Amino acid sequence: MSPVTTNPSATPVAHPAASDGSLDRSLSGSTEPAASQGSLSGQRSRSVVPGGCPLWVVHRPGPEIVSAKLWIRGGSSSDPIGQRGSHQLLAGLLSRGCGDHSGEALADQVEGLGAGLRCEASEDGLLISLKCAAADADQLLPLLLTLVQKPWLLDDQIDLERQLNLQALQRHREDPFQLAHDRLRQQLYGAGPYGHDPLGVEADLAAIRRDSLSEQAAQLGRQGAVLVLAGQPPANLEALLTRESGPGGWATQAPLANPAWASSSQPGDGSNRLACTEEDTEQLVLMLGAATVPLGHRHGLALRLLHCHLGVGMSSRLFVTMREEHGLAYDVGVHHPARLGAAPFVFHLSSSAERAFEATTELLNEWQRLLQQPLSSDDLALARAKFRGQEAMGRQTGSQVADRLALVLGHGLPADFTDRCLGELDGLEPADLLAAARELLASPNLSLCGPAQALGEAESAWRKHSLSS
Amino acid sequence: MQVLTRGVTDLGVSQAVSEGGAPVGSTLTTNLTTNLATGLATGLTTDLETDCVADGIGVAVPQPVCRTGGSASLGEPQQRLLGQGAAVVSLDLPQAPVTCLDFWCRAGSAAETLAESGLAHFLEHMVFKGSERLGAGQFDLRVEALGGSSNAATGFDDVHYHVLVPPSAAAEAIDLLLDLVLAPRLDPEDFDLERQVVLEELAQSEDQPEEVAFQQLLSRACPGHAYGQPILGRRQALEGHRSEAMAAFHQRLYRADNCCLAVAGPLGDGALLEHLERSALAGLARSDQPKPTDRANSSPGALSDPARLHLQPGSDTVALPRLEAARLLMAWQVPPAGDQEAVIGCDLLTTLLAEGRRSRLVARLREQLRLVESIDLDLNGLEAGSLVLLEAVCETEHLPAVEAEIRRVLLELIETPPPLAELERAQRLVGNGYRFGLEAAGSVAGLLGNNHLWGRHQPIQAPLDALTRWDPQRLWRELTPLLDPERAFCLRALPA
Repeated sequence: MSPVTTNPSATPVAHPAASDGSLDRSLSGSTEPAASQGSLSGQRSRSVVPGGCPLWVVHRPGPEIVSAKLWIRGGSSSDPIGQRGSHQLLAGLLSRGCGDHSGEALADQVEGLGAGLRCEASEDGLLISLKCAAADADQLLPLLLTLVQKPWLLDDQIDLERQLNLQALQRHREDPFQLAHDRLRQQLYGAGPYGHDPLGVEADLAAIRRDSLSEQAAQLGRQGAVLVLAGQPPANLEALLTRESGPGGWATQAPLANPAWASSSQPGDGSNRLACTEEDTEQLVLMLGAATVPLGHRHGLALRLLHCHLGVGMSSRLFVTMREEHGLAYDVGVHHPARLGAAPFVFHLSSSAERAFEATTELLNEWQRLLQQPLSSDDLALARAKFRGQEAMGRQTGSQVADRLALVLGHGLPADFTDRCLGELDGLEPADLLAAARELLASPNLSLCGPAQALGEAESAWRKHSLSS
Repeated sequence: MQVLTRGVTDLGVSQAVSEGGAPVGSTLTTNLTTNLATGLATGLTTDLETDCVADGIGVAVPQPVCRTGGSASLGEPQQRLLGQGAAVVSLDLPQAPVTCLDFWCRAGSAAETLAESGLAHFLEHMVFKGSERLGAGQFDLRVEALGGSSNAATGFDDVHYHVLVPPSAAAEAIDLLLDLVLAPRLDPEDFDLERQVVLEELAQSEDQPEEVAFQQLLSRACPGHAYGQPILGRRQALEGHRSEAMAAFHQRLYRADNCCLAVAGPLGDGALLEHLERSALAGLARSDQPKPTDRANSSPGALSDPARLHLQPGSDTVALPRLEAARLLMAWQVPPAGDQEAVIGCDLLTTLLAEGRRSRLVARLREQLRLVESIDLDLNGLEAGSLVLLEAVCETEHLPAVEAEIRRVLLELIETPPPLAELERAQRLVGNGYRFGLEAAGSVAGLLGNNHLWGRHQPIQAPLDALTRWDPQRLWRELTPLLDPERAFCLRALPA
C-alpha cells in the first residue's frame, strides 16, 4: 500500500519567502518548535497567533492558492435550551458585517477577488472557510479573526438570516431522507446535544433574540479554536491575521481532547426503537443506526474500519448484498461522521415500497451479521486498503488537507492522529471489530419514511427480527 | 446535467460530484440530480470540496486565481490517436498523489432512439457487471483493493467512466477499465437484476419533487428533443428493454471515433502512454457510418440540424405533491458547448447575475426584497445548444412578485451594459473557479476528456484567455439579449 500513502508533496518546499524561519520570528506567541513532517499532508508547521489560537500551515507546491479553515469548538450541540439553531444563525451572521466592514463591503471584497468565504455550524463547531488566490491572501486573511471578534449582528440581518434558515428547514421536508434522518436523530439523542439539525427547530429559531446571539458571539473561542492554512500562504502571517483585530489578538486556545465525554446513549426497548413517518412516496427510506463514540475513542478506529467494510466503495458489503445481489436499492450506504461525542453509525437505504418487507429484513440481517460474525481476513484487508485509500484521496486539494487537519485538531487530537491511525490499522484484528460492534451496536434504532402500507410491512419485518427484542 | 450513477455512499443521496465540480465549458452543475444532498458527509470529511456555496460569499466552485496565470504551473495536454482513431489526452501532474483515468464516449441519452429510452444510462450500470474476463464486482474489488475508487456518469451528450488509483497502479487500471467499457458481458440475468436498480434510481428521483419539477421544465422547454427526455429513461421503456438491444446500442456507439481516454496524474517516463498503444483502445474499430458531426468541421454549430436544440419559449404552472416551497424555474437556450468563446461569455453573464451575494439577482431578490430563500442560475454546456437554468425557491404567495422582479432585473441588463467593475468581478469568479478546478487530478481529467471528446483541443490557458476578451459592451451586445424573458420557458411549480 505504500504507493497510496507516498505523497510527493511532502518534499520540502522551495519558497524562501514563506520559510518557517520568518514565520517563527514574526509570531510573538510562538514558543513551540515548528515543523513536523506530515506523511500525508505535506510539510506542516505550527505557531500561535497572539491571543492563543494555534496556527498550522501546510505548504503545498503547485497551484497558487490559499485555503484557510478556522475551526471553533462549539456548534449546534452547544445551542442554549430553547434556542436550537442559534449557532448556525450566528455562523451565517458572521459574514454579514464585522469590524469596519458592512456585510455588503465584505461581500464586495471577497467576491471582487473571486474568492470564496463560508461560515457554517456543525454539531461540534463553527467552521469558517476561505479560499483565494495566493496573490490575494494578504487582502483577505485579515478578515478571518475580525469575523469572529467583531461581528455586527444587525437586527435587520438577523431577520434575513433567520428567515432563510426557516425556509431551508421547510424545504428540507421535501426530502424523505431528511425526514427519516430527523426522526432517527430524535431516537438516538432525544433532547440531547445532537438531537436537532444544526439549522435548528422552527419554534426555537423564531424566538432567538439578538442579545443571546451577542452573548454567544462573545463566547466564540472560549472552548478552543484552530486555524489551518494550506497551499501557498504569505510570509507575514501574524501581521496579516492581527491587522484588523489588534495586537492583543483573539483570546482562545487549542481545543482540548474529549471534554468530559461520557456515553449517554440510552437504548430504549423495541417499541420505541422504531419510528415511522408517513409520506406518499414511491420508495421507503430506511435508516438503521446507533449512537456510538467520539473520534479518537479506543473503539473509534474499529468503527471506521467497519464503515469502510460496509459502506465505502462499490465492493462494500452493503452495496454488494443489497444492490448487486438483491437489486433492492440504488442508494445504500453507511453514515458515520466524526464527532466529539457519541457519533451516529447509520445504515441507510431506499427501496420500492412494494419490497419493504424484504428490504427491511435484509438490512436488519446485515446489522445482525456485524454482531455475530467476525470479518474474514480478506474483508479486513480490503477495509484497511480502503481506509488508506480514502486518506490519500481526501488530500488532493489544499482545502481537503486543511479541512481534515482542522477537524482532527478541533477534536483536540494530535496533528499526526491520522498517521497514528494508519500505523494502528494492521494491529486491529477481526475480533477487535467484533468486540466494538457488540459493545456499541447491540441495540439499533430504525427510522422509516414512506407510504402507509410499506411502513406496515417494514414494521412487521422489524417485529419478527431478533434485533427488535 | 448528468446522472451520476454509481457509488452513493454519503447519507442523503449526495450525488455531488466528488472532484469539486466541473470547470468552465464542461458539463456544469446539475439541478436535475445534485440537489438531494442533505449536507451530511461520511467519516473524516466534513467538507470535501465545498468551500464556497450559494449561501456563502463568492464562488461555487472554489479555485485559485492568480492574475499571473494560475495554470502556469501546469504543462499542456498531450494528444495522441491510437490504432483506428481513438483519442488519448493526457496531462502530467507530477505532484498528484493519484492518477485519474477518465473514459469518455459520445453515447449519452441524446444518442438513443425513442425506443432506446434510458439505455445509455442503463448500459453505464451494466458495464460494471463485468466482461468476459472480469466477473461481476471484480473491477470494483481490484480497484478498491488498490486504494482506488471509480464512478461513472451519464449526460445528455456523453457518458464517462472514471477511476482514481495510485499512480503505480494506473497501467493495470487502464486495462481493467477498457476491458469493462469496451467488452461488457451484458448477461441477461444480470440485466434483469440491474433493471431493478435502475428502477429504484428512478423511483428515488421521483420522490424528490424538485427533480420532478426540473424534468417537467425540460420536457416543456425542449419538446421533441433529447434534452426534454429524462436521462434515466421512461419507466415503461425501461421495463421493456432487453439485453440484445443494449448490446446493439453499445456496438453502434462505443467506437474509436466516438471515444476518448483522458489521463491526468504523474506520468513519469511515459511508459503509461506507451502501454496504451498496446491496449484494447488501440484495437477499437471506427463507426460503420460517418457521423453527421465530423471533428474536421466541428466549428461552432456544426451539429447537424435534426439534433440542434430549438428551445420553445412559453410558460406553465404545475402543482406537485410533497413540494414544500414554490419554485420558479426558467430555461433559456444559449450557444452550444462547441462555441467555447460564447459559453465562457455566458458563464460571465450568469455569474454577474446570480453568483454570490453581490450578484444582481441574489442582491435584489434575496438580500433586499427578501422574496426568495435562494436563487440560482446555472449554465449547462451542451453540444446541441447549452441551457441556462434558473431556480428560485420562495413562498407561493411571493411567486408573482418573484417572477416580475426577475424579469425587471433581466430587462435592466438588456437595456444598459453592465459597469466594468461588475464584469471584472465575474471574470475573477469564473477565472478562479476554473483555476481552482485544476487542483485535483479528477477534475483535470474530466475537463480534458470532455473537451477532446468533442474536438476542442486547446491549451489549458485558453478559457482564461477567452475570459479577457469579453468587455461590457461586447457581453451586452452579443449575449444579454439571449436571456430575454421572452426567450425563456418559465415553469411555476406550486405545492399541491
